[in-house]
Amino acid sequence: MLGISDPFIVLAYVSSIALAVACIVYGVLNWNKGGEGDGC
Amino acid sequence: MAVDSSVMMAITVMYLGIVLLLAYFGYRKTKIAEDYMVAGRKINPVVLALSYGATFISTSAIVGFGGLAGQLGMGLLWLTVFNIGVGILIAFVVFGKKTREIGHRLKAVTFPDLMGKCFGSGFLRDASALIIMVGMPLYTAAILIGGARFIETTLNISYNTALIGFAAIVAGYVIIGGLIAVMYTDALQGTLMAIGMSILLVFTYVKLGGITAAHESLSLLTSNVSEGLQAAGHTGWTSMPSLGSSLWYTLVTTIVLGVGIGVLAQPQLIVRFMTVKDERSLNRAVLVGGPFILLMTGVAFTVGALTNVYFYNTTGQTALAAAGGNVDSIIPNYINSAMPDIFIVLFMLVLLSAAMSTLSSLFHTMGTAVGHDLFNRGGDAKDSLVKSQIATVIMICASVLVAYLLPGSIIARATAMFMGLCASALLPAFVMALYSKRPSSLAAKVSLVTGAAVWFAWTAFVHVKEADPLGISQAIFGKTALLEMPWTVVDPLVIALPLSTIALIGVWLIEKRSPNFEASEDIVPTPVVEND
Repeated sequence: MLGISDPFIVLAYVSSIALAVACIVYGVLNWNKGGEGDGC
Repeated sequence: MAVDSSVMMAITVMYLGIVLLLAYFGYRKTKIAEDYMVAGRKINPVVLALSYGATFISTSAIVGFGGLAGQLGMGLLWLTVFNIGVGILIAFVVFGKKTREIGHRLKAVTFPDLMGKCFGSGFLRDASALIIMVGMPLYTAAILIGGARFIETTLNISYNTALIGFAAIVAGYVIIGGLIAVMYTDALQGTLMAIGMSILLVFTYVKLGGITAAHESLSLLTSNVSEGLQAAGHTGWTSMPSLGSSLWYTLVTTIVLGVGIGVLAQPQLIVRFMTVKDERSLNRAVLVGGPFILLMTGVAFTVGALTNVYFYNTTGQTALAAAGGNVDSIIPNYINSAMPDIFIVLFMLVLLSAAMSTLSSLFHTMGTAVGHDLFNRGGDAKDSLVKSQIATVIMICASVLVAYLLPGSIIARATAMFMGLCASALLPAFVMALYSKRPSSLAAKVSLVTGAAVWFAWTAFVHVKEADPLGISQAIFGKTALLEMPWTVVDPLVIALPLSTIALIGVWLIEKRSPNFEASEDIVPTPVVEND
C-alpha cells in the first residue's frame, strides 16, 4: 500500500494524517464551546 | 550553494526587520509583569496554536530528526503519530484545559510557579526551576547549533558569527518584549514554516515521480543500507528496524516514546496554556495545531527518508554518505542540492523561523524560571521583571557556552535527553497537580527526585550513547556501561518515568492510609507557597 511494504510504516503514515484530521474535526465541533467564564 | 550569499543576506535582513517589528508590537503591549510572563492571558487561539507548534517544532525536529529519518527511515513517522496524538490532542484537551484553569485561579505565571502553588511547596517550585536551569541549556544549545550551522552555510559567514549573532538577535526581543513578543513572532514564523514545509513535501514527491513511486524507489534501496546499520538492525527505509535490535530500541524508546511523551512535561509549552482567556481558545487552537504538526514532523520525516532516493539517483550514495556521515547535514544538503534557488531562500527562512521560535521560548522559560522562581522565590510577579531579564541574559550566555562544548550529530539526541528528563522528573507530579483534589506535596517531591535521579543514573551509567561520552561510569567502574544489551540501548525515560510514577502513587497511597490523612471531598490546590 502506498508503495510501502511494512504494514507498521503504512499504519504510522495513515495514522498521522488521520490524527491531524481528528484535530480539525475536534476544533470544528467544539469551536464555540468553553467560552469566557467557563472553568475557573 | 547556488544562491548568492548577498541575496540571502538581504532577504534575511528583511525577515529580521519584520520579526523585530512584531517584537516591537509585543513590547508596546507589555505593560505589566503578567504581560511579560504569560502574555496578559488573552492571546488569540490561532496565535496560540502557531506559537505552540513553532515552539514545539525546532530545527531539531526538521534538521535533526529529519536527518535521522534519512538514516533510519520512515519508522520515525511513529513520532509524528505521538506528536499529534499526544503533543496536540492529549496536551490541549486533557492537560491544557486544566492547566489554564488552575493557572488562572492561582495566578501562576511560570511552570515552576504553577507547581509550587498547586502543591503549596517552595521545594517543588525550586526543583522544577532547577531542572529547567540545568537541563534546558542542553536543548537550547542544540537549537543554537542547528540554526548556526545552517546560517553558516547559507549566508557564508563564520560559525562563531552565526552562533553569537543568532543568539543575540533572539535574546534582544525576548528580553525586551517578553512572551507577547515571543508569541507574535512565533505566529509569523509558524506561518512561514507551514508554507515552506508544504512546498518541500510537494516538490519532493513530484521530483521523485509521485507518492507511491517515491516510496517504491525508497524500498528498492534496502540493499544499499551500510553493513554497520544492517548489523544494528536496519532493514530498509520503508520498514521498521528488526524487533529487539539496538536500532529498534533507539527508535522506539528514545525517539518515539522519549520525545513523543516528553512533550507533555515541557515547561515552555505548558506555560502557553496559561496565555489564553478561555477553553474555547484551546478548542480552536487544536484545529490549527494538528495539521501544523503534520506539516512539520510528518513532512520532515517523510522527506528525510526520501532524500536517499534523490542522492542515490544523483550520486549513487545514501543520504548519510552524501552528507559526509553527519546526520545533521542530511536535510541542509538535500535542500541545497535538490531544491530550486527560490526555495533555498524560503527554506532558509523556515529553518531560521523554526530555530528562532523555539529558541525565543526557551530563553523566556529559562529566564522566568531563574528570575521569578529562583531569584524572586516565586514572589509578586511585578518584582520579577528585571530579575527575569537579567536571568535571561545569564542563561543565554550559558546556552552559548554549552553549544561550544557539545559534539557533532547531537541535535536530535540533546532534544530527546531534555524531553526525557522533563517527563521523568515532572510528568507524574504535574498530572497530580492538575487532577488530584488533594495533591500530595510529599508524593510529588519523592516522584520528582526519583525521576530525576534515575534518569541521571541511567544516562551516566547504562545508556551507552550518553554514558560513553560522559565517561563517569568509565572513571568510577572502569567500564562504559554497567549493564549489558538490551539495557544499554533502552532510553532513560523508559526506566525513570515508570519509577517516578510508582513513587508518586506509592507515597500518595501511604499518606492516604495514614491516620493523619483527612478525607476531603473538594479540596482544591492551594496558592500557599513555602510551607515546606
